[in-house]
Amino acid sequence: MSHKTNLNRRKFLKATGIGLLGFPFITNAFSETAPNDKIRGAHIGTGNMGGSHIRWFSAFPDVETVALCDVDELRLIDAKKLLQSNNSFANPDLYTDFRYIIDRKDIDVVTCATPDHWHALVAIMAFESGKDVYGEKPLSYSAKEGQVMLGALRQHNRIFQLGTQIHAGENYHRIAEIIQSDVLGKINTVRLWKTGGTKGLGFPPNQSPPDHLDWNMWLGPAPHSKYTPVKCHSTYRSFFDYSGGVFADFWCHIADIMYMSVSPEKLTSIDARGEIPDDGIADTPKWIDVDFKFINLDVHWTTTPPNVPNAENMHIGAHFEGVNGTLTCDYENRFIKIGNETVTDLPEVPKTITRSPGHQRNFLDAVKSRSQPESNLEYARKMTLPMHLALISFRLKRKLRWDSTLEKFINDPAANFLLARKYRSSWNLPDY
Amino acid sequence: MLLLTSIWGFSQENEQFISLFNGKDFTGWSMPGEVPGFEVTNGVMVAEPPNGSYIFTTEEFANYIFRFEYLLSEVGNSGVLIRCTPENPWGTGVEVQLLAPWTPYRDDLHCTGSLYGHVAVTNRPDETTGIWHDMEIRCDRNLITISVDGQVTTEANTDTVESMKGKHISGAIGFQSNHSKKGEFARFRNISIRNLDLESEYVTVGFFIEDTRFRKSAHEAALRIGTPMIELLTQLLSAESQVAQSGAKQVLFELVAQSTAPGMPQGEKNAVGKNLEKCLRNCSEADVSQYLEWLLEMTKSEE
Repeated sequence: MSHKTNLNRRKFLKATGIGLLGFPFITNAFSETAPNDKIRGAHIGTGNMGGSHIRWFSAFPDVETVALCDVDELRLIDAKKLLQSNNSFANPDLYTDFRYIIDRKDIDVVTCATPDHWHALVAIMAFESGKDVYGEKPLSYSAKEGQVMLGALRQHNRIFQLGTQIHAGENYHRIAEIIQSDVLGKINTVRLWKTGGTKGLGFPPNQSPPDHLDWNMWLGPAPHSKYTPVKCHSTYRSFFDYSGGVFADFWCHIADIMYMSVSPEKLTSIDARGEIPDDGIADTPKWIDVDFKFINLDVHWTTTPPNVPNAENMHIGAHFEGVNGTLTCDYENRFIKIGNETVTDLPEVPKTITRSPGHQRNFLDAVKSRSQPESNLEYARKMTLPMHLALISFRLKRKLRWDSTLEKFINDPAANFLLARKYRSSWNLPDY
Repeated sequence: MLLLTSIWGFSQENEQFISLFNGKDFTGWSMPGEVPGFEVTNGVMVAEPPNGSYIFTTEEFANYIFRFEYLLSEVGNSGVLIRCTPENPWGTGVEVQLLAPWTPYRDDLHCTGSLYGHVAVTNRPDETTGIWHDMEIRCDRNLITISVDGQVTTEANTDTVESMKGKHISGAIGFQSNHSKKGEFARFRNISIRNLDLESEYVTVGFFIEDTRFRKSAHEAALRIGTPMIELLTQLLSAESQVAQSGAKQVLFELVAQSTAPGMPQGEKNAVGKNLEKCLRNCSEADVSQYLEWLLEMTKSEE
């Protein structure tokens, strides 16, 4: 276990004592009988995606949800109701500080649906305490966090699945098969897009955080900031202090199919353009276009659909350009164009890739078998990295050159500085 | 805010005017048309060839005090096009009229000093031809003020003039060629400008404006000014106004980012760092210090 993280946690418990923030409302901890063969789970972050986690995991007969955690007590109470409406026998312990869950020895897995700036630390501390993690996307807030997460996972032999549930669908598996069959020839260009961007959110005044919200804990490793509701909960991705906007939100969903199909290697340059909104305090991209150069592959991200057939009505999509044809897709659809003919499948391409039993089931099976699931951390980190680098290029307003072996920008110390962020006050990103 | 307002401009009419016309040639000007409409004679800019090309500054200006002297022949007709593009000066900008009082008599909306067709003069100037007059055009964001021979003739608030909606807030400054009959002319000399967007205090005030166009323009001006803006921007980080605060945060970042670009002179980066250090020493607000420390670390990062 990381010395630093451990020290911080002890300090925290000593400093705040029990009965202030974070103390369980009701506790069953340590009073349980010996664990049965069920996987004992806890959900950290119970807002929008956290609610989905509760519904998805409570539906599995081999999962018992024993604890819920949210820094917003109102959300926590709603989460308990949601869990009990799905499983009337559930009686979860409720926490506002996830470190109580980390400390429990009777919990096998946690799911994490916190804001992005918490993803890495929650996962790392869970790994250190012997827990497996189903973590929401994006994987990490910074490039450095991805490296540390992978180091921690390996050292502690844990299982991780990134919550890119579209990955598990039939469409992505079939697309990967078609492209890997080489029927389109060598793929030399991929176009990715997602329409829409960050809204300005106006200029709301700061205010005191509501009593039911532990704002300091919500901020965690992020810089301290006064509270205003738009910085929190559903619109926090509009701020670089916590995320990277719609681009950071959706990159992994659609870059996923590119990485499943062609696995881009040796990124050499990143050139982002775009603007932030001018009608509010939000500071992440209103629009962003990025050109990536990989070895033998050009990748273009745009905020509007590219000018290719079938793309205009897709709010998110990927377009593969091969020597012999193209494939255009979104989560559910695919259009394969060879010559003048467009089809949705090629029956001659054999089914070679094993299908997922479902993204959450795939994770639970991995927890039992101790072999990594489909969206494992190594894969997720590789897929997420270009997103982090593109946002640095966007912020610095310049083209960046990348050394994929050293994982450093070439001749740009400021860009390298932005690969990591020092955590605030008592929080530390450990070394692995 | 009050302090800032009183610093800029009015209290000290310090001569930050620079000449735009060298009296010899049209360096800094362009005549995009095929037939030149202007020539230099005895150190004076003369518009005599009828219906030749307009002449425009090659530089663009948003907020400024533009001064010059003009002399019109008996039925001379010219004008100054402000905040315009040379490709479409009438669509993008407006004309400050320069016109001899020839018959038919032109009304207050179309006489010298009016924003031609948009805003009438309220104090009609001396329109005597054959003698030199002074004109001053002050473009202060949404306020345009025209003075002739030291007297204000016209005040326009562009927000309230329906016909000026959609006009640009920045652009070239141009003179209209002589479009009276042959033999008539207009002459110009002592053409100078005080570019308010080069003045830190003026630019800082723009950070408080909710109107996106003027606020963005202030942000861009601050970035062009660069290092000398750092102290004022840091003060804005503690401003009550979220508009000013968020703008200052962003522009400070961009300013630091641009100083760290490969190929930028090391001195520029050092100057940014020194200014940030100074601001950090004087900073009493924890959230602001935290931000400045982070920016400072970025400027100091090395391979």
